[in-house]
Amino acid sequence: MKQLYYDVKKCLGCKSCEIACALAHSLTGELFKALKEEILSLPRKKVISSKDKNYPVSCRHCKDPKCVEACMAAALVFDKEKGMVLHDESRCVGCWMCVMVCPYAAIRPNIKTKIPLRCDKCKDKDEPSCVKACPTGAIIWQEEVVVEK
Amino acid sequence: MKQYIIIGNSAAGISAVEAIRQRDKTAKILVFSDEDYLAYCRCLISYYLAGEVKEEKILYRPESFYKENNIELLLNKKVIRVDSKRNRVICEDKSQFSYDALLIATGASPKFPETKGIKKRGVFGFRTLKDTKGIAGLLPVTKTACVLGGGLIGLKAAYGLKKRNVEVKVIIKSRQVLSQMLDFQAAGFVQKRLEENGIEIILGQDVTEIIGNGDIKAIKLDSDKAFESSLVIVGKGVSPNIDLIKETEIKFNEGILANNLMQTNIPNIYTAGDVCESFDVTRGEHSVNALWPVAVEQGKIAGANMSGDNLNYIGSLGMNSIEFFGLPVVSLGIYKVKEGDTNFTELKLCDIKANIYKKIIFKDNFIVGAIFVGDIKNSGIFLRLIRERIEVSSFKDRLLQENFGYPDIMDLVKDKEQVYV
Repeated sequence: MKQLYYDVKKCLGCKSCEIACALAHSLTGELFKALKEEILSLPRKKVISSKDKNYPVSCRHCKDPKCVEACMAAALVFDKEKGMVLHDESRCVGCWMCVMVCPYAAIRPNIKTKIPLRCDKCKDKDEPSCVKACPTGAIIWQEEVVVEK
Repeated sequence: MKQYIIIGNSAAGISAVEAIRQRDKTAKILVFSDEDYLAYCRCLISYYLAGEVKEEKILYRPESFYKENNIELLLNKKVIRVDSKRNRVICEDKSQFSYDALLIATGASPKFPETKGIKKRGVFGFRTLKDTKGIAGLLPVTKTACVLGGGLIGLKAAYGLKKRNVEVKVIIKSRQVLSQMLDFQAAGFVQKRLEENGIEIILGQDVTEIIGNGDIKAIKLDSDKAFESSLVIVGKGVSPNIDLIKETEIKFNEGILANNLMQTNIPNIYTAGDVCESFDVTRGEHSVNALWPVAVEQGKIAGANMSGDNLNYIGSLGMNSIEFFGLPVVSLGIYKVKEGDTNFTELKLCDIKANIYKKIIFKDNFIVGAIFVGDIKNSGIFLRLIRERIEVSSFKDRLLQENFGYPDIMDLVKDKEQVYV
């Protein structure tokens, strides 16, 4: 199962990943058209700077996901085979319980759509758009490695 | 074969059942409910009332859930007594069932004040799908309604009614809305947003009488004012459903007391959800935190431990997230400090124009509570700082900055970092 990893030493904080993410989840997928869409597509990834380093933050698809537990609309489920938290948007009411409990603050509210912004690993594509967009190769898309706790 | 009994078919009960089935595929599991529905998303009844969620989307688990997990579901079956000496439960219809391990997840019921006329037809609690259907059934003939109580339930009911074009007034005894989760200032933002959207809020007054012969006609306030109203919804808080254990040796206070394993003082009887009183990490004492995510968490631990595991529950805390007309609000732990209490300090940010309000409450250098209005994106991090009791002095100045985030705390949290190399 592939996951996203980040070589923080290489991240310049250019936010190309944020733009690529927003674009990948827009209706048209083209920058100038996407900017004119009625509801602006927002990135599901944010680069946060801390102590002179930059950290792209997005949903990690935790194996023991707090968001799934907290979802009062049963819109979230952890799919073991896909190793992903799946979000059934048709059930989501925008209560933001998932935002409240995410230990990484990786899920953010989109007030306009009432649907939380969370990484779906660009599930319909061969690899997440942020990976391709990163000019320094700081975003790594590879099989899962578990670090001993 | 081992037999588990779960009293309660909502968040805590279902989550316990799932935890048991993960560990024990063959045991017999009986789930009792005094309601008439498969497990549903209780918190969505206001959206159902508003017409935003249809009935098929309100089910918490697919219809096939019970069969697939080999669970015997007994609906409309109210357990009225637990016989902890003989390990059995006794139902209203006198039937009895024995258990090896029992979970009491009976939830809570709305509190009704002793107001004159409160028993009239057209006065509802707002807790169950049945309540909601009763209210929805009257909507075609309802133009005006009053909600008693400005807590979460009351305001959500008001929202649902407003969306169905009912003229609605919320009568609140205290001086603010959401007094159980927000301070006065934060409540002001919510009140304003509700009022801008046509919900009338009446503060500092109480209802003294519900007037009408047969159908409700009006409500009368202690200020002697009266309002036309043909429907009344009571949102005056809930109390844990503990009648079934009152004559047993099971210990209770407001709710049934649970230890860190979600066990009562009787080793094979567990409790979880709105009925239970567990250790509150922000208050440092036992407390009832009747909230959906808390119930799921507790049910999961209870179920695991009932089936032989030994999971430790670090404790609950008050936490809630709501949104009214595009204004998101999160409240965590201790949200209000008594004036002059020097044990606590606060950090605050208020931007009235941008509709943003943030407050963090500290005890020593630990966060014990927070309120976020308008910008809630970092609330999960604050929840973590509270639950993991992380000392914040080294980055206190960063907490309310726009770019504060997980990277600032990653070296301090319990779990070792996995994705940054």
